[in-house]
Amino acid sequence: MHFNKTTTAATSSVGLNRRQTLGVLAATAMPAWAQTPASSWAETLRAARGQTVYFNAWAGSERINAYLQWAAAELQRDFGIQLQHVKISDAADVVKRVRAEKQAGRKDTEGTVDLIWINGENFAAMKQGGLLSAPFAANLPNFQWVDAVGKPTTLVDFSVPTDGLESPWGMAQLTFFADAKRLPQLPQSMNELLALARSQPGRITYPRPPNFHGTTFVKQALIEHAPDVKALAQPVTAAALEAQAAPLWRFLDALHPHLWRGGKQFPQNSAAVRQMMADGELVMALTFNPNEAANEIAAKRLPATVQSWQFAKGTIGNTHFVAIPYNAPSKAGAQVVANFLLSPAAQARKADIDVWGDPTVLDVARLPAAERARFQSTPHAGQVSHSAPALPEPHASWVDALEKEWTRRYGV
Amino acid sequence: MKLLGPLLLALIAAVPIGAALWAVGAQLLDAQAWHALWADPQTLRAWGMTMWTGLASTALVWFTLAHVLASGFIRQQLGRWLSRVPALLATPHAAMAIGLVLWLSPSGWALRLVSPGLTGFDAPPPWFTTQDPWGLGLILALWLKEVPFLLWVAATQMQREDLRRRWQAEYALAQTLGRTPAQAFAHIVWPQLAPRLRWPLLAVLAYGLTVVDMALIIGPATPPTLAVLAWQRLSDADLLTQSQGVVAAGWLTGTLLVACVVTGWLVGAAPSRRMLGHGKRLKLAAATRLPKAVFLSVWPSNGMWTTILTTYIAVWFALTVGSVSGVWPFPQVWPELWTLNAWQQVASSARTVWTTLGLGVASASVCLLWSVAWLELAPRRWQQAMQPWFLLPLVLPSVLWVVGLYSLALHTRLEGQWLGLSLAHAVMVLPYVLLALVPAYQAVDPRQAALVASLGHGRWVYLWRVKWPLLKRAIASAWAVGFAVSVAQYLPTLYVGAGRFATVTTEAVTLAAGAQRSLMSAYAALQMLLPIAAFALAAWLGRPRRFEKIAPMKATP
Repeated sequence: MHFNKTTTAATSSVGLNRRQTLGVLAATAMPAWAQTPASSWAETLRAARGQTVYFNAWAGSERINAYLQWAAAELQRDFGIQLQHVKISDAADVVKRVRAEKQAGRKDTEGTVDLIWINGENFAAMKQGGLLSAPFAANLPNFQWVDAVGKPTTLVDFSVPTDGLESPWGMAQLTFFADAKRLPQLPQSMNELLALARSQPGRITYPRPPNFHGTTFVKQALIEHAPDVKALAQPVTAAALEAQAAPLWRFLDALHPHLWRGGKQFPQNSAAVRQMMADGELVMALTFNPNEAANEIAAKRLPATVQSWQFAKGTIGNTHFVAIPYNAPSKAGAQVVANFLLSPAAQARKADIDVWGDPTVLDVARLPAAERARFQSTPHAGQVSHSAPALPEPHASWVDALEKEWTRRYGV
Repeated sequence: MKLLGPLLLALIAAVPIGAALWAVGAQLLDAQAWHALWADPQTLRAWGMTMWTGLASTALVWFTLAHVLASGFIRQQLGRWLSRVPALLATPHAAMAIGLVLWLSPSGWALRLVSPGLTGFDAPPPWFTTQDPWGLGLILALWLKEVPFLLWVAATQMQREDLRRRWQAEYALAQTLGRTPAQAFAHIVWPQLAPRLRWPLLAVLAYGLTVVDMALIIGPATPPTLAVLAWQRLSDADLLTQSQGVVAAGWLTGTLLVACVVTGWLVGAAPSRRMLGHGKRLKLAAATRLPKAVFLSVWPSNGMWTTILTTYIAVWFALTVGSVSGVWPFPQVWPELWTLNAWQQVASSARTVWTTLGLGVASASVCLLWSVAWLELAPRRWQQAMQPWFLLPLVLPSVLWVVGLYSLALHTRLEGQWLGLSLAHAVMVLPYVLLALVPAYQAVDPRQAALVASLGHGRWVYLWRVKWPLLKRAIASAWAVGFAVSVAQYLPTLYVGAGRFATVTTEAVTLAAGAQRSLMSAYAALQMLLPIAAFALAAWLGRPRRFEKIAPMKATP
């Protein structure tokens, strides 16, 4: 585990303090939903045998799909569970489906989704709508290895407490990548990025919010410029938005004229940015997977001279999860799948750049030596060489407010 | 009793459509969502962009169609040209957009070919050649995709033996009266043909106004079109944003209905038959329809058609190279690294072909049977009254239909099941099949039936030996169009199928979420394959009978 690790030598005191605060909060919050007897796990395993689990998961990457095929084979062999990957392009579609099922009066086992890959606003919507089953994460035997202190976002999803309604699966952190041949000097903050944009006009851009990579870029700029970062952890108010975001809009006003197409147009998504970077139209791209560039180099879609980096004082990080809808027909099976996905073997395989390269949620240092050894891997071209601290997301309510204001200012 | 059959048929088709509409309609009465929609500064601009791209592309398509048909008809080359249409028709909309971007973008092939030699660029220039703020790229892509569709529908008319002979004779007659070939076509053939193409034209208009996938790839982004905006809102997890999406789609639908009424009135106001023998009125009507220049040979020889064909070949070529391309920096003409990765992916999802095939065959066949039964049994007045209703799925944005169909499936507990999914496909397929059949049915000469009856034969003999053989080209192509429409369904498959039925399209769209150029190009090829096969089958089944070899009125097989 060489990326995304929350370094104790963090240079950003703000980030560190907030993370510590969150970590403490999480640690005290945990027992509230973690007290279900663990003896029932054997029962869960028994009930799960023979079940089919429909796992609704984003399928935009052949590596992810191949990883889930491997998981399906393992689960069939060891637990007698048939894992069906329901390929989707957007988790919001699944949220809508479960909500519609609830509105149509579907009872507890009459759903079509057993497990869903989710985080952020989709999770918030499901939690708020009562669309999830009873808390289960803490009952999973492998949950004990989760790094809840070092990676507080495993318990707090975009500032919304998970309350055991979802089980962490992998880590994500805003990461930039660029071809070192064309960009030898990598910007280490939003202000350095502005200077770069001035010297190379038209060669930098970010996806148009409400695309979530675009919104994340704006949130990163917000965190770097807000007068009081602590205010961002609270639900947004009109006054807070005005006070905290004013420097952000000044920064974007200064940046946009130097962006791709004069900042009058923005690409639809990060994949479009990546493609334009690969073609030479842009000099840098952004992603949430610190290993995306390494993956793309391995797939021959990016040249080996591309390198990834995170801003020195940290970038926004979060966790993605799996959750069980209230009406999942195979709840026991879904829990066994969630537990399997948390196992050191599955997590190590997932973190392997040759397989997927999705950073683990586990605390590798606490694992037994044999399990820890699975996480050794050779360095790959394009990987992040110095991982920076992961900054927590602002409270989920900021997303909508920022997107609306951004659209009003720049989107028309 | 005689009306019981058509009544049942009407109910079978109208009830699901009505129920789905009802489910949508209930969601449109949301004052808060309407208020939010109007408060959004993007709405009006997006709406304006939608009107511009939709209307401009439709008008261009219509003029081009008239021009291509005129030059093809005059040169007697229409048959040869039309044999190439199925391949154009089977090219997925998204594939066309991707292919165009591969050529036109600032880092596209067009510029790579002349850089740095002629241009001096060693990096792509900051030009607005794709996703341009004026929507020109989208208009171009729509134009390229819709001309073949209308040509195909026109072909079902112009290649019917009876019509072809009649029009040829009338066209020859007009020339003996001193008209130039272009005038003769404009005054005689086009006025009879145009009204028959009214509904297909409305389908083109509806598509242009509601398209999402093409607009995402090549359309304007700031602001996007209204359909894209509605789709983005609808795919949000937040409830209020979703309902904003529903009302945006509702607003789009209202716009569409008005545009359809106006266009339909402009194109198909006068029935064709009455105009024959009224030289004066005919001339007047033709003159108000299209500018003369459309029919004149402003292009050298087969210019327009050749341009379209060449563009398609260029797009296919770009997709082929794109599907095996790895690293490909500007201004290199060829990729630096090649990879077969994408094709391996395509090969590994081959089993989705069977699901796709099953759904397509089932829904197209059901719709064909229904349509033939309906057109045979229903009184003509019924058909005219009900037609707009049956064609609704064609003109309403598919994002709206999905909302309705899905809630219908939930209430009947058919979601996630093969039966429910194939029925949902059938609802989407029905208007296209009906549309492809109706003009041919309307053109059947009623005197034939009387003639056959006077010879002492029953209704079945008439249908099997005279009418259906005459219509077999239209019937076969209607089935193929239905099949192609079923193959292209994404949202209904995802929702009503609860994601459990993977088709080539759901596979392509979910993988496209990762937006890897090679993978998208390769999947576009797979998506093309099945419809091409269906169209080839239809062309073979519908090949014209050789009347010359059969003695007249002794049509014994």
